Amino acid sequence: MSGDKSEKLVTFEQQALPLMPQLYGAALRWTRNPSDAEDLVQETFAKAFGAWDKFQQGTNLKAWLFRIMTNTHINLYNKRNKDKAKTALDDLEDWQVGSGESVTSSTNRSAELEALDNLPANIIREAMDQIPDEFRMVVYYAVVEGLPYAEIAEVMDTPVGTVMSRLHRGKKLLRTLLQDYARQEGYDVSEKEES
Amino acid sequence: MKQLDCEDVKRNVHEYLHSAMVESEIEVITAHIANCDSCEQHYDIEVVFNQVIQRSCDEAPTEELAERVIRRLREAQDHD
Repeated sequence: MSGDKSEKLVTFEQQALPLMPQLYGAALRWTRNPSDAEDLVQETFAKAFGAWDKFQQGTNLKAWLFRIMTNTHINLYNKRNKDKAKTALDDLEDWQVGSGESVTSSTNRSAELEALDNLPANIIREAMDQIPDEFRMVVYYAVVEGLPYAEIAEVMDTPVGTVMSRLHRGKKLLRTLLQDYARQEGYDVSEKEES
Repeated sequence: MKQLDCEDVKRNVHEYLHSAMVESEIEVITAHIANCDSCEQHYDIEVVFNQVIQRSCDEAPTEELAERVIRRLREAQDHD
């Protein structure tokens, strides 16, 4: 290891490294375990450093890094087949995707609110990990990172319409899973038609 | 903007909470949920749901990862 840091390394460390917590958070959702997440973060930073000359200063660095992470994850795990990022779930009609948003009575809704608020973090994470990658990541980027739809579309390399439908469906799936869990825990969140 | 019924309002919950709408649409929905308990509750659940997801995903990386990454970048620089 030589002593001096190049100017490139200095700027990269100053600008990109502070985003490590955000990259780690996203990597955990991609890989679903800490050890693979660490590898993914490391690979992402290495790739980003290699491509640093191509980063346009003044544009969104975090989104640029997330995009590199998407590609790195796909290459590492050889996911995504030829018709990129399209999953069977995208082809379902809305009514086929869980019942998370169907009409429930007000009593049940306040029970659901209470149940949701009391669910342990690990249960929420487990439920997130059960929904398909491409849906989980859209939910993560929208809800946790607060990225605008257009940026999520770039990060995930999909059209904006796909981002919207995956956010809706992802949250619906998640909510159905959590309702099941809450019901097992004795909360009265059973689906009842509003009369 | 056209009148929205409860179904429209509920369907737009993510776009509303995500500010992925134009101002005039946001105003129409804000006015609707102020006067509609059912839709308000629907929105409340999504807000809590989002907070719960945010809370559960708050996991920090270890110091060791930062060191690993810095070492890796150093190596990459030395091979440049």
